[in-house]
Amino acid sequence: MAASNSVLGLYDNPDAGANAMDGLQSAGFALGTFDVLTGTPYPEGAFGEHVPQHRLFRFPFFGALVGLTLAILFTAGTQLAYPVVTGGKPILAVFAMLIIAYELTMLGAVVATVVGIIFESRLPNLNLGAYDARITEGYIGVVVECEGDRVEDAREVLQTAGALEIKTA
Amino acid sequence: MSTSSLITDGHDDRPSNIDATAKFAGEGRTVASSGLKLFMWILAAAAALGIVGIIVRFIDDGGREEWGYYAATLAFMLTMFGGAPMIAIAPTIAKANWARPAARIGSLASIATAITALLLIPLMFKLPALTEFSDVLGDDVRRRSIWFDSPIYAPHFWNPLILATLAVVGLAMAYVMAIPDFAAIRDHGTGWKQRWARNLARGFHGRPQQWEWLMMRIGITGALYFAMLLYVNFTFSIDLAVSLVPGWKDAIFPFYHTLGSFQAGLSFTILGIWAARRWGGVSKYVGHEQMWSLGKLLLATTLLWFYFFYSSFIVFWYGRSQADSSTIELLVSGPYVYLFAAVFLFAFIAPWWVMIWNKVRDSVWGPPIAAVLVLFGLFMDRVRIYVASWSATPDDLELATTGILEKMPPTQWPDVFDVFIMAGLPALGLLGILLATRLVPVISLWEIQQSRLITKPVRYLRTRVLLVGKPD
Repeated sequence: MAASNSVLGLYDNPDAGANAMDGLQSAGFALGTFDVLTGTPYPEGAFGEHVPQHRLFRFPFFGALVGLTLAILFTAGTQLAYPVVTGGKPILAVFAMLIIAYELTMLGAVVATVVGIIFESRLPNLNLGAYDARITEGYIGVVVECEGDRVEDAREVLQTAGALEIKTA
Repeated sequence: MSTSSLITDGHDDRPSNIDATAKFAGEGRTVASSGLKLFMWILAAAAALGIVGIIVRFIDDGGREEWGYYAATLAFMLTMFGGAPMIAIAPTIAKANWARPAARIGSLASIATAITALLLIPLMFKLPALTEFSDVLGDDVRRRSIWFDSPIYAPHFWNPLILATLAVVGLAMAYVMAIPDFAAIRDHGTGWKQRWARNLARGFHGRPQQWEWLMMRIGITGALYFAMLLYVNFTFSIDLAVSLVPGWKDAIFPFYHTLGSFQAGLSFTILGIWAARRWGGVSKYVGHEQMWSLGKLLLATTLLWFYFFYSSFIVFWYGRSQADSSTIELLVSGPYVYLFAAVFLFAFIAPWWVMIWNKVRDSVWGPPIAAVLVLFGLFMDRVRIYVASWSATPDDLELATTGILEKMPPTQWPDVFDVFIMAGLPALGLLGILLATRLVPVISLWEIQQSRLITKPVRYLRTRVLLVGKPD
């Protein structure tokens, strides 16, 4: 069942925000249901937050492989279809083919990376949940997505960690 | 000997992140001063004169040589505005903390690059076809170019498209880098700026995943921009200069052109920072450290200017063929010898002499002086190259038999409309950037906020230093 409530705790101290994240995990909230909101990037894992896994690194490898394959098919196919001996070299001249192979391999990797970024970004999340404008001033927000019966639990954990204000959306 | 750290806490008088947000995203942030309004009106008037200059040039078209100053002005705009976003890319990739306040000014130059791409379209109607001498030489004979078997109007199609692609990539990078600041304006701004920011921020709430994707997009667009900048400089300089001059064969010239772009981009960013500090009220956020760091890069690129010029020149000097001698005469020792002397003085000797002194380089006022000299010198350089190239119309029979420019064209002096174009088109680009700063903070808010979180003013024995942590 989809989460229906969003609870936000606002903190003026990053330590308190990190404590809230720890508290939520201890209280049994599943990883991925709570997150930290910041106005500037913090180092990965600074708040003990769930680090989303992506597979972007696979895309350039796949693109490069496709590009290399196309390059070999293209260069070998062309030379075999029109076998012209040039400078006494073999019909399938590897050093000449390497140039096209390099270009298409790089092109494939670049194009696949761009496609990968679009794919891995997924669709935009239209339900952004609770938010507070002070986050872009440097305050730390800890947001929990939960069912209605766990809202009070979440509020209690956020309050215990020292939240300045708690919002529900 | 004690092995404990020599670092102790220092006094921190930097503005807080709340103050920074109020200044760059809050109400009244983008209220233009009367001085700025006057400056923008002057730029608008100059831009209007520039447009008049283009129209008059079209109406009273005296031939290819009269378009040299227009080509030179566009080349200068590409050189200056095209190179500036590299300041937002290269130091960021190298995790240079000092570059944060300078990145926005550099990235906004892409707006002027987009204007340059639009202004290139009229010039393409005056760029000769690849078979411009076909009536004498036969239909299959082309002037030398990089478009061997392509359609005869290939450069006319590809050059604006490639330049437009550079602009689009640059604008995409500038936009991505500004998303967190749009979120701040959405949260703290008012009126039309807040409405625009709400749409442009696209639901950015600062989740870790959103920051991660933002960084990736900055990296990807930055890498693409660098590749495109090299490509644009290559095609632009070959098609609009080298291929128009019989006998000019130079593999180093595109890199010389690109290096000039780095040098001019640095200069533009230095002057932008200086102006923002002087008139934009951001002296607490940008100043000595940025000037010093950018000044060192400017000194390095100034030395490289000479290296690339000399590498190119010495090939012709030792080549000593008739074509090589003609090329040297056209570009260096012939009708533009005084211009070349000015280029050598302002693009190399003077900024080098200014910037070798530690006290000058390590000051807020020194690098801007060198930047002005460099921009003037590089503008003269583009005039030298492009005016000479567009005036080098060869004798048909001569071209048919030798491919050498034997009859040296006379010096092409600018008329009043050329002056309009030279002053007006860069003014139009600058006006576009200043208009954008009405919405986008001239200093990247989220980057200086991050800088504040990872740095700490400390005392090191009896001096004060900034302790920098680089976690990411």
